[in-house]
Amino acid sequence: MQIDNHMSLKIAALSKNEAFARSVVAAFCASVNPTVDQLSDIKTAVSEAVTNAVVHAYEVDSGIIEINASLSGRTVHIEVLDEGVGIEDIVRAREPFFTTKPGDERSGMGFTVMESFMDTLEVKARDGGGLCVRMSKNFDMNGE
Amino acid sequence: MKIVFKTVNSILYVGISGELDESMARQARESLDAMIDEADMKKVVFDMSELSFMDSTGIGVILGRFKKLKALGIPLLIANPTKAVDKILNLSGVYQHMPKVMF
Ligand SMILES: Nc1ncnc2c1ncn2[C@@H]1O[C@H](COP(=O)(O)OP(=O)(O)O)[C@@H](O)[C@H]1O
Ligand SMILES: [Mg+2]
Repeated sequence: MQIDNHMSLKIAALSKNEAFARSVVAAFCASVNPTVDQLSDIKTAVSEAVTNAVVHAYEVDSGIIEINASLSGRTVHIEVLDEGVGIEDIVRAREPFFTTKPGDERSGMGFTVMESFMDTLEVKARDGGGLCVRMSKNFDMNGE
Repeated sequence: MKIVFKTVNSILYVGISGELDESMARQARESLDAMIDEADMKKVVFDMSELSFMDSTGIGVILGRFKKLKALGIPLLIANPTKAVDKILNLSGVYQHMPKVMF
């Protein structure tokens, strides 16, 4: 896979950084002219991954979220990494409406949104703890 | 994010504008609940024509208010969602609980 451009961002795991994070990734994609709808899909998917790191990953003190993105032709690959508690059962966590925080009015739709707004979604435990969320989207494919 | 309220003919219209995510969820919940608790209405309409962004945190906020209103016997409607917001509302099955209206 030929990588034409890439970016890397490290932010404090705070909800006030979510808008910043999703805007940066969307702006990074602008050079390959995605549609307005495709950009809003990217923003929503990034927001889901970053929100999860803010809300679920760091229970005690807040940590760092790393966001990497690369462009390969008109496909964007995005990685959202944390060093938090990780997920015991990833298959279950990815099911629609599954949440470990129903009392906080969480919908359990985060992974489902990432999966359906992007072309691919991969969720993996990181060596040494934390979660790695990888997703990609090709801008030549027509959404609905 | 900004929330404005208006009551017309016992219908509470709630205009939610800007971006609704985790950083705004608490504020949204508090102002919506305060209004629901004090107002006397037969129906609530969330006007989302000016809501440019919402993620699944917003779905939780909406469903939470829906449950609260349902317990009071008050129907909730979603009005004029933008395309991006409509997509996530659809995916999350929100329209199975409350109707969408366009005006
Ligand atoms: N970065 C993360 N670190 C730890 N747990 C996570 C992370 N992301 C997701 N999870 C777990 O996966 C579940 C499902 O996530 P999601 O589909 O986004 O729903 P929600 O965030 O509404 O709970 C969460 O409730 C949480 O238990
Ligand atoms: Mg989530």
